[in-house]
Amino acid sequence: MIDERDAVIEAVRGRLRASVADQADPRAVARILSAAFAAPAPSRWRRWLDAWHLPVMSRVGAAVVAVIALAAGFVARGVLPNRAPVDPMAVTGEFPIPVTPASDPRSGAVATQFVFEAPAAQSVALVGDFNGWVPTAAPLVRLRSGVWTVTVPLMPGRHVYAFLVDGARLEADPRAAAVVDADYGRPSSVVMVPGR
Amino acid sequence: MSSSPPSSPIDPSLPLRAKGGDRQAFAQLVELCYPRSLRFALHMVGNREDAEEAVQDTFVRVYHHLGRFRDDGRFEPWLFRILANRCRTVLAKRRRHAEVIQYGDVPDHGAPTMVEGPDWMEEIHKVLATLPVEQREAFLLHHVEELAYEEIAAVTGVKLSALRMRVKRACDLLRVRLAEVRRDDR
Repeated sequence: MIDERDAVIEAVRGRLRASVADQADPRAVARILSAAFAAPAPSRWRRWLDAWHLPVMSRVGAAVVAVIALAAGFVARGVLPNRAPVDPMAVTGEFPIPVTPASDPRSGAVATQFVFEAPAAQSVALVGDFNGWVPTAAPLVRLRSGVWTVTVPLMPGRHVYAFLVDGARLEADPRAAAVVDADYGRPSSVVMVPGR
Repeated sequence: MSSSPPSSPIDPSLPLRAKGGDRQAFAQLVELCYPRSLRFALHMVGNREDAEEAVQDTFVRVYHHLGRFRDDGRFEPWLFRILANRCRTVLAKRRRHAEVIQYGDVPDHGAPTMVEGPDWMEEIHKVLATLPVEQREAFLLHHVEELAYEEIAAVTGVKLSALRMRVKRACDLLRVRLAEVRRDDR
């Protein structure tokens, strides 16, 4: 065992360990969850390539894979039918990591993140005209900070929604422009989803 | 200055629940592991924007590959294995970018974006950035994230003896270069 610690290394270690806050930024966590839940699962090929740890593959290894892929591409070109154009956002990069949540290029839906602060709540669900106000359609995930979040695909346009707290109480979104539903008088909010 | 992120607060049942499809459990994993992940990525890549991107990318990969997580495995070494690869990818991209920039304008790096606090912190970061990537990675995983050598071996795929040598060399370089920096400042 090589013992490399001394006063200098201990000091360096202490400074580096203390350089980041010990609590996660709820906004960062919500952003990560949105990206994880909204991003499509990788294809079987992607999983296979991940297993080979392509990012650290040697140049020779990468060249071999590239040659094989090129050859396979030429073969497939003559065999496979043409596919419909795909939204570039869905295919660029190794993963479609969105800063704002990813969209579904086929349906035109835009993944939209909802955030609601309710530290004392036991459950929060997103209900709205896009899911028939069904309480089980879009449950929010609770962060330790008491912030709840969910990301759902919405078609461009105007949507009315509310948060169902503890399965019993409807609350409007304080981050959105609140409106009162004319038919039922329940508190609700409006989100405008832009077309792409 | 805040206190340091906790070393290992992960309930072993948490990754298993996440693996079983429990989104709440995955959210807790992200919350618990985010500070350490960001810290490691910051010290590996040297700026917050790249570090946050690497961390987010890592957790998305973790989420989609939870099925591969061994039920008897420890979550953090597995997480750091993916994160270390993402950081290497970021560094490789930056090297390629730097090669392109050399033919145009000289990039203006400005002040280091991750440096806060007393001068010595800045010196540490500067010296840390001069270490070879594999030494920096091994040093951070062992001394800052407090992973055992066996766990780092699993993370990096490097033999224990070589790993210990990397950490030792990183420590030697840190001592020498920090001493040089401080001598120059006097």
